[in-house]
Amino acid sequence: MPNGSGSDSGTAHRAHTFNTLAREQAFKYPPADGSVHEILNEFVSPHLESFNALFDEGDKPGLLSLGIKDIGERVAFDGDGRAESESGRLGWGNRMRIWIEKVTITKPMVPERDKTALERRVFPSEARERLTSYRGRMSIKLCWTDLHGQKNEVHKECGLLPVMVRSVRCNLRGMSSADLVRYHEEPEEFGGYFVINGNERLIRYLIIPRRNHVIALSRPSFANRGPSYTSHAVQIRCVRPDQTSATNTLHYLSNGNAMLRFSWRKQEYVIPIMLVLKALVGASDKEIFEGVVMQDYDNTFMTDRVELLLRSFKVFTMHTGDQCLEYLGDKFRVVLGMPEDWTNAALGAWLLQKMVLVHLDSPREKFRMLLFMLRKLYALVSGSCRPDNPDSPQHQEVLLPGFLYGMIIKERFEEILNQIRNLITVDVRNGVVVDFNDQRYFNKVTSRVNFDVGAKLSNFLATGNLISPTGLDLQQASGFTIVAEKLNWQRYISHFRCIHRGAFFAELKTTTVRKLLPEAWGFLCPVHTPDGSPCGLLNHLSRTCRIITRQLAVSHLPALLNSYGMTQAFVPSIDGRKNLCVQLDGRIIGWARPNVAAQLAQYLRIWKTEGQHDIPLDLEIGLVPPSKGGQYPGLYLFSTMSRMMRPVKYLANGRDDQIGPFEQVYLNIAVTPEEIEGDSSHVEHNPTNFLSILANLTPFSDFNQSPRNIYQCQMGKQTMGTPSTALKHRTDNKLYRLQSGQSPVVRPALHNTYAMDSFPNGTNAIVAVISYTGYDMEDAMILNKSAHERGFAYGSVYKSQIIDLKDVRGASKSSTDPTLHFGLGRDIRVEGEKVHPCAHFIDLDGLPFIGCRVSSGDPLAAYIDDTSGRTKFVKYKGDEIAYIEEVRLLGNDAGDGELQKIQLTLRITRAPVIGDKFSSRHGQKGVCSQKWPAVDMPFSESGMQPDVIINPHAFPSRMTIGMLVESMAGKAGAMHGLAQDATPFKFSEEDTAVDYFGRQLLAAGYNYYGNEPMYSGITGQEFAADIYLGVVYYQRLRHMVLDKFQVRTTGAVDPVTRQPIKGRKRGGGIRFGEMERDALIAHGTSFLLQDRLMNCSDYSTAWVCRTCGSLISLGYDDVSLGEAVINGELRPTGPGGEYCRVCRTAQEELDERERQAFATGQHLQQKSQGDVRVKIPAQNIFGRSGKGGNMDVVAVPFVFRYLCAELASMGIAVSVEVE
Amino acid sequence: MSDPTASQGTQGPTGGGGMGGMMPPPRENMDYICADCGAKNEIKPREPIRCRECGHRIMYKKRTKRMVQFEAR
Repeated sequence: MPNGSGSDSGTAHRAHTFNTLAREQAFKYPPADGSVHEILNEFVSPHLESFNALFDEGDKPGLLSLGIKDIGERVAFDGDGRAESESGRLGWGNRMRIWIEKVTITKPMVPERDKTALERRVFPSEARERLTSYRGRMSIKLCWTDLHGQKNEVHKECGLLPVMVRSVRCNLRGMSSADLVRYHEEPEEFGGYFVINGNERLIRYLIIPRRNHVIALSRPSFANRGPSYTSHAVQIRCVRPDQTSATNTLHYLSNGNAMLRFSWRKQEYVIPIMLVLKALVGASDKEIFEGVVMQDYDNTFMTDRVELLLRSFKVFTMHTGDQCLEYLGDKFRVVLGMPEDWTNAALGAWLLQKMVLVHLDSPREKFRMLLFMLRKLYALVSGSCRPDNPDSPQHQEVLLPGFLYGMIIKERFEEILNQIRNLITVDVRNGVVVDFNDQRYFNKVTSRVNFDVGAKLSNFLATGNLISPTGLDLQQASGFTIVAEKLNWQRYISHFRCIHRGAFFAELKTTTVRKLLPEAWGFLCPVHTPDGSPCGLLNHLSRTCRIITRQLAVSHLPALLNSYGMTQAFVPSIDGRKNLCVQLDGRIIGWARPNVAAQLAQYLRIWKTEGQHDIPLDLEIGLVPPSKGGQYPGLYLFSTMSRMMRPVKYLANGRDDQIGPFEQVYLNIAVTPEEIEGDSSHVEHNPTNFLSILANLTPFSDFNQSPRNIYQCQMGKQTMGTPSTALKHRTDNKLYRLQSGQSPVVRPALHNTYAMDSFPNGTNAIVAVISYTGYDMEDAMILNKSAHERGFAYGSVYKSQIIDLKDVRGASKSSTDPTLHFGLGRDIRVEGEKVHPCAHFIDLDGLPFIGCRVSSGDPLAAYIDDTSGRTKFVKYKGDEIAYIEEVRLLGNDAGDGELQKIQLTLRITRAPVIGDKFSSRHGQKGVCSQKWPAVDMPFSESGMQPDVIINPHAFPSRMTIGMLVESMAGKAGAMHGLAQDATPFKFSEEDTAVDYFGRQLLAAGYNYYGNEPMYSGITGQEFAADIYLGVVYYQRLRHMVLDKFQVRTTGAVDPVTRQPIKGRKRGGGIRFGEMERDALIAHGTSFLLQDRLMNCSDYSTAWVCRTCGSLISLGYDDVSLGEAVINGELRPTGPGGEYCRVCRTAQEELDERERQAFATGQHLQQKSQGDVRVKIPAQNIFGRSGKGGNMDVVAVPFVFRYLCAELASMGIAVSVEVE
Repeated sequence: MSDPTASQGTQGPTGGGGMGGMMPPPRENMDYICADCGAKNEIKPREPIRCRECGHRIMYKKRTKRMVQFEAR
């Protein structure tokens, strides 16, 4: 990682040059020893090194080896557990131990089946181009014991495991730039990602609680855990050597007791702390009392609570440690799944070893640490220390990709062993012959177990979903991986530096987790975070922030500190009031008086910066001094992996120092040498070190209002730029490319350091700030038409299309004998008369001609169906005209299959058009509103015309002074042939940027302030005001109208409602919603309203019965042969024979009843009408049928008719009142 | 480009399938370029995709020799 000092030497005298020739040389002849820009390999190193840590290195065991050691062995029995039966005294019979001894993962290789390949290695470019995954073969050595305790072993294949590019298991490892280019990579390829199905995916950094450090928490939710629970707790996330972790929480109960909480297989368990303390070392009550109180007998708050603690344990009536262990083992026997012949005490000890303070080995150390936790808990409750902030980087570290990967692999191995054991148990229970001496029986069992770990990991990387029985002590189960989009270089590299707070916090309603805390200074970039929903949760590492990936050698540290005055940990009768606890990675190594602790911290810092006593530079020395109600004091040393560290200069000896976020809070770090005061301990190497790479690339960002720099970080990542220099070998779904990219005239020094010139991201444009045409209002900008015609911001989009005959309809299931083949059949005529139209596009092999232009519906490929003998086509679906850029014929893994899959790269030209989005590098985005003819553009006295015109109103409210300075600097730089250094914090009030560049402009013959007289291009008259004219680097953003425009007159409608469908892809409409409706009502333009909501939507006409008001009771009489006569009566109908079925039935019933009433002499009762009544105005009624019928035609929205039908199905009648 | 339409061809050229049988039409073999070594490979229909020189499994189609002309606007 850069130490943040070197790169900017001597900017004052020696000006930046563009280094054009050197760059061209490096690009043509990449170095054969090492890479062009070493810094690019460094900034992904946490990804790579955490992955490399999985594997053994020399005699140092890798995380996988440590993992299988931690899993241990599973034990199966061939007896059924009935005591005193034929299977021994306990009834368990013979014992079979099963364990995994060794894991091997090979580099990606061509499968053995392929005999022809000369190059046996597989390279990432092949995986990308063939849209497969970059995987190595994984195998394990599975061991078990037979009846005589003899060890048997068998090798098991665990499938193909995705391998990180450029890791130790990658074939690109250690390659020089020249080699990388030979194997179709970027010369600056740095790896750190996986290739899954042709996509580059990476595991994102995740923020997790700092390991092995006790934090005090105060959460109201803790009080809801049960009766007498309070909001107070202390928590520690303990990490095992294999980087898996277990969190222990100590809850304070209102009765003075404390409960230890941990989770086992996603299930939470709570144990009284006394039980654990006694079980660990068999401590007596006195020992516990003395250990917690530590001679502070006057502190009645503490003594009262310890007394309560001890008294409350009396109800358990357990006096010795063994009793406690047995009790624990008895309660946990069923859940743990350990061998049935273990005693309760052994089980209890195993539980404590596996789940309680797992970073410590010995029970005595665990005991000491638990006492410390109790003391901190009581201090928290009494208010003598503050709760720690878990959202602060001080108490956070990073979950590294390789470690997470290793955790998942370890868990899969554990599952394999559990499955084998369970299968044997089930066999025993079902009475299947179980013979531990029989190799075949074991093979039979293992054949039923899924060993394919590789597929599980592929799935994890492809989806980011974690499928885990334990949850891995993480708060989320999805969203771990992201695609490394090569949209442009800036976006690509920021993927590798982004760090997420956790999916859990994204749903949180409170915004406290999103806050930018001062503790994050120098570790997380304050500028580079997206706005919107992930704001503050998705951060990016600062440029100089490193993540430690190696365990430091610190075993000699306790002895060293002892010799310098630290009291040892085991010494009894230490005064807890006067001594601070000294901890190394969550292990108590001693006690020291506050002044001694401060002395020790200072010694350690001097030693580590000067390399004395073998103190590693990356040791974090967190001295928390005693305070009134502040953070719990102590001297906390951290040497573990996954911590963030950054370089600064130690003032005491002028050496480089590495500091972490824990200690930074208690250090006084001056930002610049001028700021050093009496109590400053450190000084930054460079005032820009706290910014991320992208934030550093904004020129003069210190002149801008801060949100504008945030916007630029977003827009820099959406720019159409140069995604890759190996474009020919890329198969990304979509790539944006700027054809005429330039190196910016105004650039910060880091632009060169990070090789941004290899991937240009925009164009230097002559920009005039003038309100000229009226087409530049509201952030619109005007492009000079001639500049456009000369290729200003010309770009293209590369789209990838895969045609796999396996997925086409009519494909046979078998892969060996496909029924579909690429090619033109005999039914296609390609020569002579009546040439088939596809011959313009498709070659004889059924593949398109390269360079051919295709528009929507044109064939892209032809294939012959063996069953029908006909030729079928795959058509181009896009709306835009595209050109065939590349046709790839993809073979299968073994290289023995015929052509079934091709990949086409289509190029879509994207000249800038009106409506395309552009921006400068200062968050000043705008849309092109006109391409203005050059003759009508204003011109300066020297005859210069602007390429771009922007409106002066873009500046006052946004205060992007950086853009104004860039304009001046660019103008001066262009005139003098200089690459201007735009590093922020270089100028001061005394030495202003305006003066510096103003003098340069004067020297070039321009106005000092950068403005100059201009003339109207239309009238030729000079403007009354001088115009600000300069050179600004402009980015073309990927948001283009051609991807976005949506227009519709008529089109598809929803079959149910008959309203226009939504969606741009389907040719739908844009919703005219409630608020738009309100606007039209407010304007009183009701005719427009009628047009939008009725005529252009679901206009329909319907027959309505004037009597009953029903819309759904239309019936027809056949009146073609005259009007219907039933029972000798003329039935009234509409002109087409329409009548209301409801009314007619009612009339008939009425007639019938009248007749009956007449016959019986009773009186009639009126029937009520429908209950829901809707009034329809007169102008909506057409064709009132004149003769006889009672039906009218009305215009109603179709959904209304649908609503009536739906309501009718629920027994609600809608009655329409017709006036 | 040789004769494409054997059975239905009205102007069947001299070679090929003027006989009107169900013989598959003789097709010109296509040349492809190996993505790894750059060797020219002749791959007949239904042959495996594999470089004869190095055994690589990706081929690029060659740029057409046919005139590709667009209207310049």
